[in-house]
Amino acid sequence: MEMSLHKPTTRRAARHLVLALAAAQLAAPTRATAQAQAQAQEDLRPPQVVQRSEAIYPPAALAERREASVTLEVTVDTSGRVGDPKVFESGGKEFDDAAMAAVSQWAFTPAEESGKPVAARIRIPFAFRLPPLPPPELATPPGPPATARPPAQGEAGAEHPAVETPAKQEGEELEATVRGRARPRSRGASDYDVTVGQLSLVPRKTAAELLKLAPGILLSNEGGEGHANQVFLRGFDAREGQDVEFSVAGVPANQVGNPHGNGYADLNFIIPEVVSSLRVLEGPYDPRQGNFAVAGSAEYELGFEERGVGLQVGYGSYATRRVLALWGPPGSSSRTFGAAEFYETDGFGKNRDATRGSAIGQYEGHLGETTYRLTLQGYSARWHSAGVIREDDLGAGRKAFFDTYDFGQGGNATRFSVSGEIESRSGSVVYRNQVFAILSGARSRENTTGFLLDVQDPQQTLHTQRGDLIDQSTSATTAGIRGFARTSLDAFGRRHEAELGYFARYDVTDGTQYRIEAATNAPYHVDLDLHSQVADIGIYGDLSLNPLSWLTLRGGARLDLFTFDILNRCAVQSVAHPSLTNPPLDASCLDQESFGAHREPVQPATTSSMAFLPRVSALVTPVAHLTFSGSYGKGVRSIDPQFITQDVKTPFASARSIDLGASYTRDLAGTALALRTGVFETKVDKDLIFSESAGRNVLGGSSTRRGLLAAARLTGGFLDESLNVTLVRATFDDTGLLIPYVPDLVVRSDTSVWRRLPWSPGGVPLVASTGVGVTFVGRRPLPFGDRSDRIVTVDASVSLARRPVRLALTATNLLDAQYRLGEFNYASDFHSQPAPTLVPVRHFTAGAPRQLMLTLEVLLGGGS
Amino acid sequence: MRRARMLLVLALCACGGTGGELVTFHAAAAGPADSVSGQPFVFTNALGYQVTLTRARLHIGGVYLNRSVPSSGSQATSCVLPGIYSGQVTSPLDVDVISPDAQPFPADGEGTTDRSQTGEIWLFGTAVDATDDRTVLADVAGTAVQGTGTPIEFTGKFTIGQNRAVPVGNPALPGSSPLCKQRIVTPISVDFALAQGGTLLVRVDPRAWFRNVDFAQIAADPDNPAQRKFLDRSQGQPDLAFYGGLRAASGTYLFNWQSP
Repeated sequence: MEMSLHKPTTRRAARHLVLALAAAQLAAPTRATAQAQAQAQEDLRPPQVVQRSEAIYPPAALAERREASVTLEVTVDTSGRVGDPKVFESGGKEFDDAAMAAVSQWAFTPAEESGKPVAARIRIPFAFRLPPLPPPELATPPGPPATARPPAQGEAGAEHPAVETPAKQEGEELEATVRGRARPRSRGASDYDVTVGQLSLVPRKTAAELLKLAPGILLSNEGGEGHANQVFLRGFDAREGQDVEFSVAGVPANQVGNPHGNGYADLNFIIPEVVSSLRVLEGPYDPRQGNFAVAGSAEYELGFEERGVGLQVGYGSYATRRVLALWGPPGSSSRTFGAAEFYETDGFGKNRDATRGSAIGQYEGHLGETTYRLTLQGYSARWHSAGVIREDDLGAGRKAFFDTYDFGQGGNATRFSVSGEIESRSGSVVYRNQVFAILSGARSRENTTGFLLDVQDPQQTLHTQRGDLIDQSTSATTAGIRGFARTSLDAFGRRHEAELGYFARYDVTDGTQYRIEAATNAPYHVDLDLHSQVADIGIYGDLSLNPLSWLTLRGGARLDLFTFDILNRCAVQSVAHPSLTNPPLDASCLDQESFGAHREPVQPATTSSMAFLPRVSALVTPVAHLTFSGSYGKGVRSIDPQFITQDVKTPFASARSIDLGASYTRDLAGTALALRTGVFETKVDKDLIFSESAGRNVLGGSSTRRGLLAAARLTGGFLDESLNVTLVRATFDDTGLLIPYVPDLVVRSDTSVWRRLPWSPGGVPLVASTGVGVTFVGRRPLPFGDRSDRIVTVDASVSLARRPVRLALTATNLLDAQYRLGEFNYASDFHSQPAPTLVPVRHFTAGAPRQLMLTLEVLLGGGS
Repeated sequence: MRRARMLLVLALCACGGTGGELVTFHAAAAGPADSVSGQPFVFTNALGYQVTLTRARLHIGGVYLNRSVPSSGSQATSCVLPGIYSGQVTSPLDVDVISPDAQPFPADGEGTTDRSQTGEIWLFGTAVDATDDRTVLADVAGTAVQGTGTPIEFTGKFTIGQNRAVPVGNPALPGSSPLCKQRIVTPISVDFALAQGGTLLVRVDPRAWFRNVDFAQIAADPDNPAQRKFLDRSQGQPDLAFYGGLRAASGTYLFNWQSP
């Protein structure tokens, strides 16, 4: 029986904090086991549940948005009473206690053998989950009729959000499915397990925008639709992921050796509708975090709640078209699904068209106590981008707001991946192993300086400025494995937990960077041509100790070994004394160094280095609902392969971060309130600073970020509100000056409201809903003491659902504010003035104007 | 408590800076301060000629300031070194250099508050790196007389195109002498920091153009044999001497910064 545990009734949704909702799934043996036994022993009938009680979600865990799985072993005696409960798999003391308290209220019909009642020992897994609340989509309008399923026992008067139990009908065969993956434990106030839930109503163009549900995150995109988002996180300009470790269903998303930026993470392949949850850990506090987790990490989990076959067709402004097919086989878990998306737009303004297609399929199955999961993914995209506009050209009327200088800008990307994962249990030890492989390619063409950088070199034949269009290409093959073993330990009268894990990844990457001549569209210079083979082997240990009832200590350490084998195919670009008889002239990759002495233009370099990364957290819960936390950790970013030197230890960029925070959660009259606040400090020894001439971030000096954040989430029966505020001060250590481009104030609000309308045409309820997202970004510091404009944008949607159809109208930038998404001060020369322009001036990238989109959804078959 | 709150606000508020400042400033060019508006400009050059200039105009393609310290050979590598510039006036101007009056450039200049140490005068019409350019950059007329000799009436129009191309001496360095190097007069010593709303006055002294010109060697004008005319070429003492004066980094151009 696959239980639809994430579909609260209207009454339940109204009365409960559905912040934390979960499945306590009654299980004898697992489904497969039970069926096998039933076939083998037709005369054996397992116990049947006749009365159940919800487990109460532990308040502290709820405050920290922690999830857990607990499996109890109980004996059902011949009268159907429960006895001798024992924890078979611990989820931590508070979860164990909650499950024990609940199961003591359960009652069964006894097991029978040959028609006679017999005592039986069974296992009952409780899954404490914070699942996404069902969006009011066609198949799951918020607030389905109360008759959709019977209320659970013990529901009335529950003060805390209850763990929901399956609506088991008497006489049904007992079976259960262990859902979800074993989740890492919370690291405190900076660890956000983001539940999308009803906030999926807020318009989001990409899955990357879900990151905004965590505080301190600002997304930008100067490269066009299809280009990876630029991520600002708690004072870091992480560019396209260089300082944030991204993974999707456990598969890394950061690209090693991408010439656009080592760690470039393109998340556009993720179809937003199949993101079930997102864990954003702001800071390097979890030993599971690996390379690139300098500012933090983000882990996407995939799933699709609906069962059946669905189709979405959307059409909107600027001839934007989107078709999305989704399906979830009935009877399977939400982690078994398929999704395919096609998207095309002419784009606003000039040179902003884009096309993409993406497909993701996942299957989750069970063999005994083993859960296995196979994830397949394919993605391809092509786009153009407008790039920057000089403010003086806009002011003089030489260029329009949505104009472009260089129509050659744009890019394309492909990504195909496969991942297999097995999670099993042996005694009290949970094991997981995952293998993944990725084939990816990307090309990006950007011109941020116009005709500035192509200076006349003495060795070159005479030329005028040929243009600064940078053409970067990457072709990468990635293979890797990761896994862990987790066990519970009993000591000093309390239950603790220990985990050992590993991560291994091997990347073979070819990266090139050319300069393209504007007149001919042909490469005229090779900046970079690298063949990189990079391996990262990491092991970690993590303990979760509960020395006192109000104190939890978590932490451990991670050890990473990075090895680099780099072949620089264009290592020699300058000849001191070129041969008079055979001068290299315009060639970029030269085969002589001095006086015509032959030397191959290539340069191999190999090296390796280790990084030791300690990480600890303490969580204190002095009173119910309130948790204080403190965390310390060290994170690293491996250096771009182009900076590798033979036998010189890899110069990691490392960050040391500390957080202090508090969280409070409370169920108030059916409305869940979760508050969180914290202060932090992060020091980085080698920061990344944007270089307009290089077209990407380059290494800078050390820097420090200090700030505070606050977040609130209010979830009720018809309202879901998320609000977060982040204040950061990011400075260079040597000068004390602010780090340019990093926003020091970011405010984000996401609001969803849904309501069942009083009309039920044809007896089918009609549900209306709306979602509003508001972003405020303070004036960002720019080079030369300048500040950008503030940004305020409002996105909204309205929808009407009557199963199996839903109609939605979304508007991004609803107020049609003309805003500058990015602002930069640097020198450029786009030939827009009579003489070359060589001093820094203001540039901007245009934010998108108001865009409307009408989407029709139909979901057929399946049921939930 | 109040102090702590203030410290917190100070620590986190949108204050502080990234250093420096972007500025705009007024820009103008003029002849020597000792010239008289509307009057010919009279002076004596190094060869003893008393020169009476009745016309002297200069076409300035652009004016630039940079942060690098002037030094011999500093411009040997390339015409433009991105990243060093602290000021620019990119609107061209035809300057009457025998008038002391400030003649404003069509548009304000832009720059940063970094300390400027080198000035550059860019002499071009179409593009600084154009392979040829027939734009008249200097247009002069007047008379010169040495002692009690016969006055020499002369005219001249000067361009910087292929007529100024420097032959490549080293075949391995075909790009070592681009025309842009002929068109950029640098390094002109300056020492100031731009400020918002200030004024940059570039004074052009035509005396320096003629300092070493031997007027007697100027060829006769084929169209008017009574006159003599510079031939706008890279040969002959008068042309070379004038061109040397036009491109002299010291003595010809004076950058005067007036704070607001």
